[in-house]
Amino acid sequence: MEPAEAEFLAEKELVTIVPSFSMDRVHLIGGDLGPFNPGLPVEVPVWLAISLKQRQKCRLIPPEWMDVGKLEEIRDQERKEDTFTPMPSPYYMELTKLLLNYASDNIPKADEIRTLVKDTWDTRMAKLRLSADSFVRQQEAHAKLDNLTLMEINTIGTFLTQALDHMYKLRANLQPAASNDSQDF
Amino acid sequence: MRYGHTEGHTDVCFDDSGSCIVTCGSDGDVRIWENLDDDDPKSINVGEKAYSCALKNGRLITAVSNNTVQIHTFPEGAPDGILTRFTMNANHVVFNSDGTKIAAGSSDFMVKVVEVADSSKQKTFRGHDAPVLSLSFDPMDIYLASASCDGSVRVWKVEEQTCVTNWLLLQKCNDVINAKSICRLAWQPGSGKLLAVPVDKVVKLYRRETWDNQVDLSDTSITQHSVTELKYSDKMKHEKNYSICGLAWHPKYEQIAYTDTEGNLGLWEDIGDGKKPNDKVASTVTKGYEDLFDGDDDDYLNGDMIEPQSSPNAGANEDHGDDDDLMPTSGHPTRAIIDDDDNSLDIGMIKANSNLLEKEEDDVDDLTGGFPALPTSSTQQPFYDGPRPTPRQKPFQSGSTPVHLMHRFMVWNSVGIIRCYNDEQDNAIDIEFHDTSIHHATHLPNSLNHTMADLSTEAILLACESTEELTSKLHCIHFSSWDANKEWTVDMPKDEDIEAICLGQGWAACATSALLVRVFTVGGVQKEIFCLPGPVVSMAGHGEQLIIIYHRGTGFGGDQCLGVQLMELGKKKKQVLHGDPLSLTKKSYLVWVGFSAEGTPCYVDSEGIVRMLNRGLGNTWIPVCNTREHCKGKSDHYWVVGIHENPQQLRCIPCKGARFPPTLPRPAVAVLSFTLPYCQVATEKGQMELVLEEHIMKLLELTQDEYYSYSSSVTVECFQFAVGQRLGKNHPFVLELPMQEQYWRSVVFHNYVDYLSKNGYELDENAQSQPVKEQQELLMKLFALSCKLERESRCVELADLMTQNVVNLAIKYASRSRRLNLAQRLSEMAVEKASELATALGDEEEEEDFRTHLNAGACVGCTQIFTYLFFLSYCIAVIASSSQGRVNPFKVSATKKDPVVPSANVLDTMSKYSKKLSSSRAVNKESPPVIKPLIPKPKSKQLLQASAASFFQVRTPSSSEKRVGEREEKAGNEPSGVQASAQDSTENKRPKTGFQMWLEENRANILTDNPGLNEAEVIKEGMSRFRLLSSEERIVWSEKAKGGTVNDVTEDKKRKRPTAAEDEVKKDEEQKSEDSNLSKKKKPLDQSTNVRLSSFAFKQS
Repeated sequence: MEPAEAEFLAEKELVTIVPSFSMDRVHLIGGDLGPFNPGLPVEVPVWLAISLKQRQKCRLIPPEWMDVGKLEEIRDQERKEDTFTPMPSPYYMELTKLLLNYASDNIPKADEIRTLVKDTWDTRMAKLRLSADSFVRQQEAHAKLDNLTLMEINTIGTFLTQALDHMYKLRANLQPAASNDSQDF
Repeated sequence: MRYGHTEGHTDVCFDDSGSCIVTCGSDGDVRIWENLDDDDPKSINVGEKAYSCALKNGRLITAVSNNTVQIHTFPEGAPDGILTRFTMNANHVVFNSDGTKIAAGSSDFMVKVVEVADSSKQKTFRGHDAPVLSLSFDPMDIYLASASCDGSVRVWKVEEQTCVTNWLLLQKCNDVINAKSICRLAWQPGSGKLLAVPVDKVVKLYRRETWDNQVDLSDTSITQHSVTELKYSDKMKHEKNYSICGLAWHPKYEQIAYTDTEGNLGLWEDIGDGKKPNDKVASTVTKGYEDLFDGDDDDYLNGDMIEPQSSPNAGANEDHGDDDDLMPTSGHPTRAIIDDDDNSLDIGMIKANSNLLEKEEDDVDDLTGGFPALPTSSTQQPFYDGPRPTPRQKPFQSGSTPVHLMHRFMVWNSVGIIRCYNDEQDNAIDIEFHDTSIHHATHLPNSLNHTMADLSTEAILLACESTEELTSKLHCIHFSSWDANKEWTVDMPKDEDIEAICLGQGWAACATSALLVRVFTVGGVQKEIFCLPGPVVSMAGHGEQLIIIYHRGTGFGGDQCLGVQLMELGKKKKQVLHGDPLSLTKKSYLVWVGFSAEGTPCYVDSEGIVRMLNRGLGNTWIPVCNTREHCKGKSDHYWVVGIHENPQQLRCIPCKGARFPPTLPRPAVAVLSFTLPYCQVATEKGQMELVLEEHIMKLLELTQDEYYSYSSSVTVECFQFAVGQRLGKNHPFVLELPMQEQYWRSVVFHNYVDYLSKNGYELDENAQSQPVKEQQELLMKLFALSCKLERESRCVELADLMTQNVVNLAIKYASRSRRLNLAQRLSEMAVEKASELATALGDEEEEEDFRTHLNAGACVGCTQIFTYLFFLSYCIAVIASSSQGRVNPFKVSATKKDPVVPSANVLDTMSKYSKKLSSSRAVNKESPPVIKPLIPKPKSKQLLQASAASFFQVRTPSSSEKRVGEREEKAGNEPSGVQASAQDSTENKRPKTGFQMWLEENRANILTDNPGLNEAEVIKEGMSRFRLLSSEERIVWSEKAKGGTVNDVTEDKKRKRPTAAEDEVKKDEEQKSEDSNLSKKKKPLDQSTNVRLSSFAFKQS
């Protein structure tokens, strides 16, 4: 899966916005949205929030976890533990990127948040690589990783599975070759 | 308290007349304040730092950091020369009583006395071994007292420049800033007979000439003495250096101005019972002090005054005991300390201080050190011990945060937000609209220092108070105007300050300090002007309506005494509320007043109660919400920004630990729901719903999807119903009361429709009919419930609230559920209603339209309601039967035959039932195994009464004697008989088995057939006869036995039968009752099932 696809899925997450326009409930396939009252917070999917924000039709209220204190805690926890810790949102990376790109003026300390999320992400990616490494090294048949988000799985998933395939093929070829060796003599 | 100077040492004094306060501070400025609220004090720069100032006869003496003591003219502030110089800065300067001399004490250990007129005439006093802290001139001009960091207090004879006496009293230190106390000394004003020296926590009084310590004013006993006015302040140290360093008495009033090392200036008023200089003064003391402690500054009045932590009580006493309520005897009544961390603040004070509160509350705890002030007085004032008047709350704009904040909301309403920034870089106003289609956001410079603002969809209104040069101004930006000139400004007459402003549709209004309300058009034409009965508190406009809240009088004991005027400024121009008293929660004040989006006046008090005008009940106020109930913490509040009636929403901003929100980070609006304070069973709503959900699903054997797909309005009722069972609340109110509240809430929040349509507004038909439909539905549900509860009179009362069509429905329902009596009454009522309606229609054609609208709306709901009702009754039946099965397996056998046992897909059958009314009726009928015709019921009741009456007649002493005799006889014959009869008599009270009941019934027959049988034989005979009965009959009897209470009367009657049997006259009647038994054989069964049904439904019996 492409990162863009993961991002697309993340856009279905709900965020709170304060609209600056008035509109009745809109009926969409995915469910009803609104009603939109100026000044009154309302939950909408990220895609709509961004679209409205770009047209300056709303003010975004960042999700609760998008807060420097909370993210610091999460980052520290992530660094402290060897396994993956649960993330505040299954789309934390995508949401951070989307919201900070389009609505950074509504998010206090946007830069700090960006750094913190990136730190957390890096820590997790390092863990992921490390575990993939030990997985390959020890030639395990299967492994289980908890609390991975979709985006993280996708960064390593395609590569790892293909790599394992290749390795399997190589190994499979190696053994007959070894037995052939003796016959060459 | 307010900001006065930058941080550091400050000093304060009053001018001779007391008309202004003069302060100096470490910023080197002397400021002249008209009063505490003076936002633009006159500043005179006197040097780099000013240490002390004194003012007399138009001369202002300051001790400044270039080691000089300077003179300035007052109030002009022109420099008038240097009086004297030291090698270090002077710490304290004082005038003598006639203002001819000054004394200055310096950090170079010297004290100088200089004649003001001729600075060459100086006297120097040497003797202190450390910087001089403070000085005090003897009023008789003979002596001078000085205190120094070396710990000594010396008294000098001015003429001879000699030290008269010297006490080592104070703690030594090396510099003024390290001194624990700045030890302000004071002579008794007038005669100077006593010198007061504050030492630690006591004040030592020394007698003149003898210089002996006359008395110590200690914490606990302040004796009455002849000092009329004594002042001193004590420098306190605590971690934050938040301590009082300057203190001055007002020359006339009971006021103390003080400054602290943070540079703040404060004013205590109503220290005593003197004349009140301004209206925020509480006239009495105790209250006054509370005010001080609560409001004025939580920090050091609460903290410092009481602060000697070793003896807090004492500290408080000392303060209280200052001047006004001193009793001539020693020994003070101990007062409660006001140790107040909850914010029971006085509004005026809060407004001034709330930004400091949080900080201050922290401070209170770490305060240490002495106590600051002990003004004492012997003026014998009458001791008033009644209720204390409350300081009047100051005028405010709804939806604004306190004026003194640097960043504040000037208004936040449903249109937009106006913020005001007032810091070093910028003094500006930011206007932002919720709906950007109304107008774009605007940024205005705030050069006039506007403090009030209002915002509507057509204009922005701003107002400022008057300054020395400028009059108070009203400024309007009419952005929706079609011409190019959108702004106008109006100047108020001189000495008239705008106190509150508001905008309506097409008009603007302001209330001024001259008790006038001025109305303008939104384009700036002056319109009406009228007087207010009292100082305005707040006002608000909406459409043509204007609501004004003002002080009707002085409130007592913490209450405000407010009045409200509501008027319509449109074409009608009438007053709706004529200055009626405004009801507020006890000890609260008004925090918000305005209109709902639909135009109903509402207000909020400081206890968080939201009240709304109920136009449906003679313009009374009804509490519609308690925002404090929604708060998590004790100090949390909701800051109301708007009220909407359709949909019912209370928009407010949650404030954690504060009354109002900060401008940054930008607060988010929350929506609260309304709850009328009707009596309700207090159940956690969420918890209840969860329990219900689970329960209803189990009961109706629904899957989650099915359940959710089902109409919520129906399931909610079932929920409530089921929870009543589940939670064991055998109270029908579990279900009934919330519905009642819902009904009345709907009614109250629907009043606006009535009002608006009366005022010629076009309303969406749907918006009109929807609530009516909802109300009628609720009524019908309530009706159905009351029917089930067998409260027929309540049914009638409910039907009285219904519209014509729904009454017809109710009649149908009543007759279908076999309540003919009720149906009869209802139909009578319906006829009455119809005739009333007819006359009403004939009378008023205007109303006709509206009514028919309503009826039309109600009609739409009719069919829905009907299906609902049958569903409800079905549910009840199902719930009853299944819960029966659960609770009492014993009874299941009786009802097992019911075909009602729900099939797997209940909803299918249900919808069928609701479509086919007849079949749903069948469901109801099917539940009892025996169907009884309707008519016999009243008849048998009559019979019961008749026989009961005969029973009472029969119950004469003779018969009971007879019985006793009979028993004695039996007792003599055989003990087993006695046993049997004893057993019999207990069983008579409540027959337990079918046989016993049958026996009771048939004993007479047995006895007549076989006279002379004893009890045991009767039973034996009965046994054999009972066996002969068919099994069905036997079941009937056993059913009857279980029937319980219903049969009590009949039992009694039956018990009497043996005696009655002997009476020939009664025989006929017996025959009759025998007949009635036939019907009864069926009846109790039917009745009992009914009873059971309802009892299981509501656990009533």
